[in-house]
Amino acid sequence: MKTLIKILLLCSISLGAWANEEAALDKVILETDVKSVERGADAMIGACHACHSMKYVHYRDLLTYGMDKQKVDGWRGDQPLDSAVMAQMSESDAAASFGKAPPDLSLMVKAREGGANYLYSYLLGYYMTKEGVPGNHYYPETKMPDVLNVSSIAEGASHSEVQAQARDIVSFLAWVADPHEQERLRLGYYVMAYLLVLTVMLYFVKKQVWSNLK
Amino acid sequence: MPGRIIEWIDQRFPLTSFVKHDLTGYPTPRNISYWWNFGFLAGIVLVMQVATGIFLAMHYKADIAMSFDSIQHIMRDVNYGWLLRYMHAVGASAFFFVIFVHMARTLYYGSYRAPRELMWWTGQGLLLLLMATAFMGYLLPWGQMSFWGATVITNLFRATPFFGDQVVIWLRGDYTVGDATLTRFFSLHYLMPFVIFGAVFIHLIALHTVKSSNPSGINLADKDNIPFHPYFTAKDLYGLGIFLIVYSVFVFFIPDSLIEPANNIPANPMQTPNHIVPEWYFLPFYAILRSVPNMVGGVLAMGLSVMIFAFMPYLDRSRIPGGARYRPIYKLQFYLFIVDMFVLGWVGYVPPTSQTIVIGQIATLCYFASFFFVPFISKMEEGWLLKKGLPAEVTALIEKETQDKEERKLKRLRG
Repeated sequence: MKTLIKILLLCSISLGAWANEEAALDKVILETDVKSVERGADAMIGACHACHSMKYVHYRDLLTYGMDKQKVDGWRGDQPLDSAVMAQMSESDAAASFGKAPPDLSLMVKAREGGANYLYSYLLGYYMTKEGVPGNHYYPETKMPDVLNVSSIAEGASHSEVQAQARDIVSFLAWVADPHEQERLRLGYYVMAYLLVLTVMLYFVKKQVWSNLK
Repeated sequence: MPGRIIEWIDQRFPLTSFVKHDLTGYPTPRNISYWWNFGFLAGIVLVMQVATGIFLAMHYKADIAMSFDSIQHIMRDVNYGWLLRYMHAVGASAFFFVIFVHMARTLYYGSYRAPRELMWWTGQGLLLLLMATAFMGYLLPWGQMSFWGATVITNLFRATPFFGDQVVIWLRGDYTVGDATLTRFFSLHYLMPFVIFGAVFIHLIALHTVKSSNPSGINLADKDNIPFHPYFTAKDLYGLGIFLIVYSVFVFFIPDSLIEPANNIPANPMQTPNHIVPEWYFLPFYAILRSVPNMVGGVLAMGLSVMIFAFMPYLDRSRIPGGARYRPIYKLQFYLFIVDMFVLGWVGYVPPTSQTIVIGQIATLCYFASFFFVPFISKMEEGWLLKKGLPAEVTALIEKETQDKEERKLKRLRG
């Protein structure tokens, strides 16, 4: 018993220490309607697409999802609809200019601890260091430039604009990482409703059957 | 007409008597609680894993250049592929959860005691098969955790005396985890469930010989056994409903909660993740592995931590039936053991620090101590409880068991 108490005490101490180590992430509420995701796609193509690919997404997927045909045509240029959304810059060129090939963004929301909140915090995490170059609070070793110009803008109206842009981009990337999420949730509600009714009925069946026992 | 067909079959195959003896009329103790639902649930999860797995295999490609992409193909392009994959991934966790509860129930109520030792040991074999199947399945998505998890675990076989290095190469089919490893893991991951089916069948034959245990631990009189159908079909189906609700919450609303973010990054042999963690169901055993500073010792400790359950029928020397029900000290030991499992699980999850290593070592000691002391504690507890007085039927059962044992001994001596 004594050892148990000791273990529990030690656990609670180190649990506390462990929780403090993680930098707090800004919470982002994702948008899931087609218009917002389309806005995010626009922002993403403008800010990220030069270097980053999304190889599991095809231009046709954007159309199927319900985005504007003209917009999609504008983004893809002369590439066929069925081609994947690849970066405009080749991987080797990007590696030459940034020292590291920019990662594919298809699964980025799922591939980082903290998910969408992490990406949102990271995009907005740029600041001007004392040396006058941009740094990032959440990923200090990052090679990515401050694409949203977070570090150079003042607080106020323009800052909230940047926040909205980051939120659009992350909302789009969340859709890219899990394009069936909305369908899954919708189906999930039906499944839950069905199972709840079924289980309640099975409970009464069980009760009824067992009531025959003396 | 159907009657005549059944009659025709019965003359050639024991259909009616089998159904009556082993399905509908199978005598089951009426006092078993909902904790006895989990064996049935394990069977259902096994069927669900096989069913979803067969369809996943139709779209999956076991090739290191294609497997990660083929998972994304399943998730994005295959009709309801995301549902199949999430059901299968969540199903693996559900399987372990159900099995762990099933084992905890056996330990709590002392169901491993005579005459159910073979049930416990075939169950132990099933646990090993399940672990191997889950481990090999985890490599298939070819993410970072898949690759590094398989690398770390296959590497443990270096502890084999004399030809450790050769064993590791033999297991991987290559010097490192690579395409040869992926294809053989896929092949075996497809084969193992059918081996599990066979082992489940043996487990059930043993069950139908010794019948279900029950919370009292006393063999019930015939009047206290009721036919499986309709009583336990109704009860099991209600339990299944509850299970499916919890399962569906995971599948539809938080499917990624059980998938490590790093496994959404394709395997990269050139880059080790900061922190390699196994799936949650291996965490306590992983913690034990890491708690022993020496590699061979760690591997032995981990192996023993899984296999030690098999010794329970011999370690527990108390003649008092019903496990924790009549045995307060055993009950306390049981709960301490569960707490210890959670502590170990947590230690296995967090990145090791000097503090967690010490906690892990204490918890590992507690883990083995709780088995090691069972023979002494159970014997002392028995003496104490017998002096204190037990329900009449319990004492009667103990006397009868002792008598039977003596008689068998005498018979052997004469024979």
